[in-house]
Amino acid sequence: MAALIRRNAPAGHDEIPPGTLYVLILKTLALRGRLHGFEIAEHIQTGSDDVLQVEEGSLYPALQRMLIKGWVKAEWGVTAGNRRARYYTLTPTGKKQLGLELQQFERVMGAITRILQTA
Amino acid sequence: MSFAGEFKRRLQMLFQSGKFRRDLEDEMRLHIELRREQQIAAGLAPQAARAAALRRFGNATRIEEKSTMAWGWHNLESLLQDTVYGIRSMLRTPAITLVALASLALGIGANTAIFSFVDAVMLRSLPVQDPQQLVRLGTGNAEGITNSYASTTLYSYPFYRRLQHENAVFSSTAAMFSLSNDVHGFVDNRSEPELIHVQMVSGSYFPMLGVGAQSGRVLDENDDSTEGDHPVVVLSDAFWKRSLAADPSVLNHSLRLGTTVFRIVGVAPPEFFGTMVGSEPDAWAPLSMMDSIPPGWAKGARSQNFTEPLWIIGRLKPGVSVEAATANINVLFPQILRSFPDGKITAENLNRLAHAHVGLVSMARGLSNLRRTYSEPLQILMAIVALVLLIACANIANLLLARSTARARELALRQALGAGRLRILRQLLTESMLLALAGGALGVAFAGFANRLLLRMISQGSETIPLDVTLNLPLLAFTCAITIATALLFGTLPALRATRLDLVRSLKGGRSSSASVGRSPLAKVLVIGQIALSLVLMMAACLFLRTLNNLNRVDIGFNKQNVLRLNVDSSTLNFKDKDPRQQVLFHEIEERVHGLPGVKAASFSVFTFNEGSWNSLIVVPGMPVNRNADVMHNIIGNAYFQVMDIPLVAGRAFGPQDTASSQPVAIISEHMAHVFFPAGSPIGRIYSIGSPDDGDAPQRVQVVGIAGDVKLGSVDQRDPDYVDYFPYAQSPWGFGDFEVRYSGDFGPVATEVQQAIRAINRNLPISDVSTLNAQVARSFTDQTLIAELSVFFGVVAVFLSCIGLYGLMSYLVSRRTGEIGIRMALGAGRSAVGWHVLREIALWILIGIAIGLPVTIAGGRLVEKMLYGVTGADSFSLFAAVGILVLAGLLAGYLPARRASRVDPAIALRDE
Repeated sequence: MAALIRRNAPAGHDEIPPGTLYVLILKTLALRGRLHGFEIAEHIQTGSDDVLQVEEGSLYPALQRMLIKGWVKAEWGVTAGNRRARYYTLTPTGKKQLGLELQQFERVMGAITRILQTA
Repeated sequence: MSFAGEFKRRLQMLFQSGKFRRDLEDEMRLHIELRREQQIAAGLAPQAARAAALRRFGNATRIEEKSTMAWGWHNLESLLQDTVYGIRSMLRTPAITLVALASLALGIGANTAIFSFVDAVMLRSLPVQDPQQLVRLGTGNAEGITNSYASTTLYSYPFYRRLQHENAVFSSTAAMFSLSNDVHGFVDNRSEPELIHVQMVSGSYFPMLGVGAQSGRVLDENDDSTEGDHPVVVLSDAFWKRSLAADPSVLNHSLRLGTTVFRIVGVAPPEFFGTMVGSEPDAWAPLSMMDSIPPGWAKGARSQNFTEPLWIIGRLKPGVSVEAATANINVLFPQILRSFPDGKITAENLNRLAHAHVGLVSMARGLSNLRRTYSEPLQILMAIVALVLLIACANIANLLLARSTARARELALRQALGAGRLRILRQLLTESMLLALAGGALGVAFAGFANRLLLRMISQGSETIPLDVTLNLPLLAFTCAITIATALLFGTLPALRATRLDLVRSLKGGRSSSASVGRSPLAKVLVIGQIALSLVLMMAACLFLRTLNNLNRVDIGFNKQNVLRLNVDSSTLNFKDKDPRQQVLFHEIEERVHGLPGVKAASFSVFTFNEGSWNSLIVVPGMPVNRNADVMHNIIGNAYFQVMDIPLVAGRAFGPQDTASSQPVAIISEHMAHVFFPAGSPIGRIYSIGSPDDGDAPQRVQVVGIAGDVKLGSVDQRDPDYVDYFPYAQSPWGFGDFEVRYSGDFGPVATEVQQAIRAINRNLPISDVSTLNAQVARSFTDQTLIAELSVFFGVVAVFLSCIGLYGLMSYLVSRRTGEIGIRMALGAGRSAVGWHVLREIALWILIGIAIGLPVTIAGGRLVEKMLYGVTGADSFSLFAAVGILVLAGLLAGYLPARRASRVDPAIALRDE
């Protein structure tokens, strides 16, 4: 999972490095508990001070995959605005996965940082 | 992360895909809705807000597709679509589909059927514990009883016991009698005797094989501990079901064999058929009862060091190699033989012992006469059916090619609409696979039928060979493998061809588009290949047919026409050895049958043809002993030469003057007379039977006549045998072949002869009533089988090739209608057009033959060992094969040629 940051991105809006979407979703759910898709997207964007721009739709294939892997559970509920929404929560497997993903992310980032610093 | 859990979730998604899809749509809609509201709240106009929301969300359709692909079932779904589509498109061209399915079913079925025989006869291991540890002593294939010194295939009982105790390499050693005791016995006190195949084995046999009983017990060492007092048998599962109707109280029943009642102590498991592939004993009895079970093959052999009727089998100790075991056994072999005090130490015997080497042969696949006889024919047949399948594949490939041409527009359209080449390729291959699977399924059904037919064809007489050729796992794997291979074989080329289209041209018009395919040499190459392969098969058919014809016409020295033969089993009458009542009974039967209308002569004999032999060296006083020439002995009734139509060259036949008390006499064959009595007439001379190196006292006989030469063993032996005949009045023998020369129809004579025998003694079981002709034919069943099957498959091959030719030519003619119309309009005659087409077909056939010829000749050389009276490059067969092929091919081309000649130029040109 190499983090790759596009150079010529317009200032202020960087795309999410590929593959880090999982760890972002997992972390978001770990922090906030029970969220629906829109809330997850919002959280990622506001949490990164609007630097990370998700193509919001791409959240959903990722969520489907995570459902299959058993990292998250989904159930239907009602939003504050009284709308039907699908809420996602982390499963124990998901928690374990988050730990793994974080470790790996830190390792990769650490390596990249070290290279950038020596240059 | 649990894999099973994941799979379960995937399955849920598959079966509730509708619900999952709706859920996904709902939540995506909500997302866009919320974003829009947020934008409105931020001050955007409703229109702009919606646009922004959609923009930020991305391509919703694509995202939904990506999401559902995450479920991992899109491959399956498109496979299902392809399958349904494939079935529909196959049904749209029923004729093509039918031909393809039929030829596939035949091809795959034939391959499966032959392979199931290859598997059962040549490949499968015995259903016993660790069969790969089993070895047998001796590489020879002899069965019977010998008394020659240092035999390395057959062994005496004392030798077996010594080897069992003294060897250091077998964890267990067992022996089995090399001959089956086929005896008419009685279950309990039933009055009807039934034929029971009894296999005598050592007590260690079952324990060594690790075979237990399904009920009761198997034989053990105790049953073989002392002679004559262990009348017990273990039944085979088949016999238990057949004769005792699977009676659970089987242990309360008994078998009467000869005069002894045998207690049934157990039933062997259903899968255990003994250790000989292709023969299943009905019952196993301990060797301790050797003397009590008719026909009493080797009376007293249990204690005789040099009466050798046994095969010895050993189970190698773990870690002992075959080489080490061979070394150990070959040290023991001379030691044990030398230690027998009654060994006759002649120079010849010492020489034999010095050169004797006991080879150890794997018993993992058991013993088998069937394997010896049929290994080669089965391999040839396997090659033949593989070629037939190849031809069928070429045919189907051609049909599919033609069809893909017809579908060119459809495919081009789909490609134009954005279908990837791989996607279309996959769809076409799915259709091929579908066809192959359907063909494979039909083939398996066909194989089940073909198996029974084949088994019947190789079975001799009325009993079907007990061979398990039912569908099993390796067989199914084999069939699946060839099915998939065929699909790839016939599907790939057309699929590749069909997807490499010139889109613009294909879309533009009907006929001109297909020109690209028609011009491709692929279809012609396939047809020419078919013809080449057909030539190979046709040649094989001609060669084997000629072989069979030659075998049928070989002069075997006797007249096999119009002779009825049957067997009687006098063991049920409980006569003691040499009981004079037995000769009286035989004589009475001969007399009575002779008096029947339509009967010319009748006689008993020990042998007629291909029934094994009793042979030995002979010693002629004043002549050196000829150790290379065994003489075959036959014991006959007085009318034997008349029945068999064997000419008496000199001297006299046996008559009433030859009695038990008169001078023992013999009639010898011409060949024997020339070789053993080179000087002067042999009549009146005396010789003795038996080798001077054997322990037995020689029996002296006087020559009274010379008979014409006969072949006793097989029709394809090069020289007639050395044969001598003794009258049964002087050499009593219990078991009997009975031969009757008759005129008229076989049926009524057969009935009358059997009635006459029953009228004399109703307890004498009669079996195997057939003709001498059939008996002779039985001796080359393998060649008959291969001839019949190769002719069948040769015809199938030619037929398939003709379909291929016909199909391709019809297609070409229909494509060229315009061209033909122009030719005719310019003045070409109808016959000229027809000839033009035929000439093209003839050219293909000739090219096919030219390619096939070298292969054919090489193939002929390969099968030369199976031929008789023809060489592998027999020119008559070659001409016949070529002739048939050319004729059939032109016949196939005639219809399209006629159609071409009937083209109406006006219509053809308007069409264009």
